[in-house]
Parts: sequence; C-alpha cells; structure tokens
Amino acid sequence: MDFFLQLLFTGIGIGAVYALVALGFVLIFRATSVVNFAQGEFSMVAAYLMVVFAVDLGWPYWVAFLISIAGMALLGAVFNLTVYYPLRNRSFLPVLISTIGASIFLSNSVLALYGPQPQVLPGWLETPGFQLGPVYLDSQYLIIIGVTLVLVGFQYWLFERTLLGKKLQATSQDKEMATLLGIPVAEMIMITFVYSAVLGGIAGILVAPVLFVSIQMGSTIALKAFAATIIGGFGDIAGAILGGFAIGVIETFGAAYISVPFKDAFAFLVLILFLIVRPQGIFGERVAEKA
Amino acid sequence: MRFDRRSVNVGLAAGLATSMLSRSARAADTLKIGMVLPATGPAAAVGGYALAGAKIALDRINKSGGVLGKQLELVTEDDQTTNPGAVLAFSKLAAQPDIIAFLGPVRSTQNHAIANDILKTAKPFCFGGTDPALTKMGNPWMIRFRPNDTYSARVIASYGVETLGKKNWALVHSTDAFGASGNKLLTAALDKLGAKVAIDQGYPNQSQDFTPVVLAIKSSGADVIGSYFTYENDQAIFARQLRQLGVTIPWVGSPTTVAAATLKLAGPALWGTYAVADYATDSSPEAKEFAKLYSAVSSAPPDLQSAWPYDAIGALSIGINKAGSTDPGKIRDAMLSVKGYRGAEGEYNFDQFGDGLHGYNIVRNEKGAIVFDKHIEFTD
Repeated sequence: MDFFLQLLFTGIGIGAVYALVALGFVLIFRATSVVNFAQGEFSMVAAYLMVVFAVDLGWPYWVAFLISIAGMALLGAVFNLTVYYPLRNRSFLPVLISTIGASIFLSNSVLALYGPQPQVLPGWLETPGFQLGPVYLDSQYLIIIGVTLVLVGFQYWLFERTLLGKKLQATSQDKEMATLLGIPVAEMIMITFVYSAVLGGIAGILVAPVLFVSIQMGSTIALKAFAATIIGGFGDIAGAILGGFAIGVIETFGAAYISVPFKDAFAFLVLILFLIVRPQGIFGERVAEKA
Repeated sequence: MRFDRRSVNVGLAAGLATSMLSRSARAADTLKIGMVLPATGPAAAVGGYALAGAKIALDRINKSGGVLGKQLELVTEDDQTTNPGAVLAFSKLAAQPDIIAFLGPVRSTQNHAIANDILKTAKPFCFGGTDPALTKMGNPWMIRFRPNDTYSARVIASYGVETLGKKNWALVHSTDAFGASGNKLLTAALDKLGAKVAIDQGYPNQSQDFTPVVLAIKSSGADVIGSYFTYENDQAIFARQLRQLGVTIPWVGSPTTVAAATLKLAGPALWGTYAVADYATDSSPEAKEFAKLYSAVSSAPPDLQSAWPYDAIGALSIGINKAGSTDPGKIRDAMLSVKGYRGAEGEYNFDQFGDGLHGYNIVRNEKGAIVFDKHIEFTD
C-alpha cells in the first residue's frame, strides 16, 4: 500500500505539469484551430527567466516569479503578432509550420544567449519535502498539484462566470459569428496567446526544480502534454486536465508494475488505443459535436 | 572612372580567384582534424567541455611548432546529441578531403551509428564511447581514448565486493548501447566475484521520474547500487529521489557520477558516493597539469569530457609525426604503436584493437570534492 500511495502521489504530481501545458495547447487550438508546437518552449523560456532573476541576479523568488510571468505574457503577445497573426487567413499547415519554426527559434535563442549548461533552480520552499506516514511528499510536487488545481478553478471561473470568458468561448467556437456580435476577435486571440504563454510559463517554473532547467525540458514535457490533449479530447479543457493527470499516473504505475524501460511507451500506447477506439478523446470535441 | 558590366565581372572573378588561392594556401599550411560533438541537445554542455579540452591541446601543439611543420586546425560539426545528427555531422566532415583524422562522440550509441561511414572514409577516428564492442567490430579506424566498460565493470564490481564488502547488488542502467553493455559486463563481473544481483532496473534516457526504480531498489533488500547512467540530468534526478525516499546504501557508479554537469545538478544528493573515473585530478602529474590548463579557460571543473579530447589530440599529433606523413594507414599504424604516452586520463598503451587505456581510477565524492582513492590497471 505504501508503494502504491507513493506512486500515486508522484504520478499526480507529474500529471499536473502535463495538464498545465496541455491546457495551453487546448486554449490556442480552440481560439485559432492550430496546434502550437512552441507551447513546450514557453515552459523552457520561463524557467530560464527564473534562473536569470532568482539565481543569477539573486532577486526574491516571488519578485522573480512575477517578472518572469510578465515576460511570458509579453512573449505570448509577440508570438501572436509574429507567428500567428500574419498567417491568420492561411490554411492550417502554414501556421503549424510557423509554430514549429518558432519553437526551434526559441530553443536556439536561449542556447545562444545562455549556453548549453543545464541549470539548477531552487524550489519555492526551503524544505525539500515531508514524510506523511509511509509516503514522502516532495514539497515541489505539492506546490505543482496545488497551483494546478487553483488554475483549473480560475479557468472555470474565467470561462463560465465572466463576460471576457464568454467572449473568449464565442471566439473559439465561431469567429465569424463572434465578429457579427461585436466581439473584438483579434483581441480575444491575443488574450488567448498571452494566457497560454503564462500557463506554459507557470508549468515550466514549477517543474524546473524537479527536472532542472535545460534547453530540451520544454519538448520533453510538451510531447506528453500533446498526448494528454488527444486522450482528453482535442479542444476540451476538462479533457486536457484529465488527460494530463491520466498520462502521469499511467506512466508511473506502468513503469512500477510492468516495465521501467517501457515507461514512455505506456503514454503513447494509451494514445494509440484512444486514436483507434475513441479518436475524439474522453470528452470528444464540443464544437464538432454541435456542428 | 566608369565600370561596365564586363569590367565588374572580371574584377569579381579576379577577387574570387585571389580569395580562393589565399584560402587554399592557408589550408596547405594547416592540417585539419574534424570533430563531431554535441553543440545542441541534451549533451550540449559536455560538447563545450570536449571542445575546450581539444583546443587546449591544439594551442599547445601549435605553439610548439605544430605537426610535420604545420599548424593543426579543428573543424567541428554539431551531432545534436542524436544518432541521425551524428551521422549527418560525420558525413559533412568526411566530405572534406583535406581532413586527415577525426575526433568522434563520447556516446557509444552515436559511435555505433557512424561506424560504417568511418569504415568507408578509412581515416583514423579517435572516440570516447566505452562500449567494448566498438573496437571489436573489425573496423580498424576506430581508436579509443577512454578505458572501455570491461574495465569499468570489473572495477565497480571489485571495489563494491572486495573493498566495501557488499554482495547484494541493485543495478540501474540506461537502456541505450552504453548502459546496456555496461550493465551486462557488470553482471558478469559480479557473478565472477560470487555476488548476487537483487534487482536490475533499466530506464529510458531523459526520464523525468525515477520513483518506480527507487521504490523497487528499496524493497529489493540490496545493500549496494551499481549504475551506468548515460545522461547527467538523469543521474541527478535519480540521486535526488533516491535520497528523498530514504535510500542510503553505498553507490558505486560509472564515470557520469563524477561528470562536472552531474555534480552541479545533483549537489549533496551524490555526497558519499563512489565512482570509477577515467579522469581524476590527483591521479598523476599529467592530470594535475591538465587541470591547471583547463581551469584557465573554463569555470567548470575538468572531467573526462574535456580530458579525453585533450589526450586524443596529443596522441594524434605524436602519431602523425611518427608516421612522417598524412597517409591515413601510416597514421593509424603509428598511433597503435604508441606505448607509454602519459596523458591526462592515464598512460596510453594501444593494443591491436585500438584501445589505449586499460584501467580505471576509483574516486569518492566527499561533500562535493572528488577525492582520488586508487587506480586499478589490468594487464589481461
């Protein structure tokens, strides 16, 4: 039982990170019908910003966090203006390639500016973790799970309880109709990119003390998060969150009870199963169902 | 003065010809060595260390008159820390006919990926991968500048069983060529010494979580860990989770355990561990001298990643001088006849397969400081 509980805690912790990044994927997909392959790089850039402000410059952690998040908001806006907006009237493929290009650009820019050495970012708390009965609770994983739950709650409030959220939803469901209703679609898409970059950034900052800060950290997380969005149902927010947690738990338990070398394969095995049996994912795609 | 199209064309052609002639004259004054290294990807940091080590040797040789009266020049290509990247990088270098020899990757898996192209290119290829099979594949051009895993496995097993007195082992290894081969040899060496393998855990590279592996070790009843990690970040994550989950049994690891990047990332989680290390600063006067030269150009501590390219350039220059020509076959034969060359990693005595080193150092991590314990050399 101790073994089981320890694995469950770790699986949920890792899954929370996948869920946060998956959320960013889904938001942009809903707003623009495009998969943003640079979503993982948002996490990497934010982690490096934290290293610069909190470690190199020695600023207080929360100040460094706020500035890094502000930096990510700015990056999201610039990303929208340079990567998506000029191609907004083109088909799916050019925008997709544009996001892949942006992903390579961001990785190589950070590599050129900061160098290839992986960096250490301390956790939020001085204490590395707590022993709760037989289970060791890593303090950083506790923070990751807590922040993810808060952000999921915030997301629900934003989309279901505010006018801005309704406008964002309307834009994602039918841009032409939203325009006819007087919703500033370009601004809504801009907000979506900013919010997605912030979400990716928070995920990167949270996971950096666990996985270290390196150029490829974003792509490692993004691949699993992408699988999570498909399992959850591409375009569905609840599905992305559930998919993220599911991937984290499945790969941890699969590694423990079946085979460690096949740990990464479990996530993609589940993904393939879903693509065959239920390609629309757990929750399906709400817009497609309405259509 | 008027310029018509013809005079502009003639001027351009003359300029181009002059530039090409001067470039070719400059090329004739240098001997080119190609180097495949990771400048991007997960091992980009160690690529930087390797380049720094190679450049120190290059500067030293060039300042003392070069090789065959010519200056050595390094031409590098990025392998992106991937097998296809290594193949592409090597093919770019191999296409340059004026490159006389090569330095290759430190990862066995990448050396395996380019082994066929090396055979076709038929020029000396100095590399750092430690899978014993690499020099036993009938490819005469592959010359190794690190002790292979036959030796590391024997030293890990011998130190753990005979010095630490531990007989119940947990083995942790990457599932790539390096990790799988090292683990196989370690299992055989333990078997010879009468020790038992309580648990054998392979993991895929770039794992984000080692909780299942640590819990399996914890419940296995093992009293010592032996490991072959390929990437520094994997070893650092494992080390941290091992300590967090309360596993404190002794640990004797492969050279990655004392790589500069691993020490930086893992910090106190690796304190008290043992490792086999081909480079140890206090192991010889040559190693100390290298440490001094390296610290002048890098803030990172010297390790195997920087030491083996330093030795490779040194031995290559001796080989070329001894051969008296740039003929690939003559250089290879001359290099393999090198005996007693004292480099930063140890004393090189090449055998017929192309292995130059035949032993390992044992070091301890004492609160972050790497302390040399002893060197174990094999003659068989």
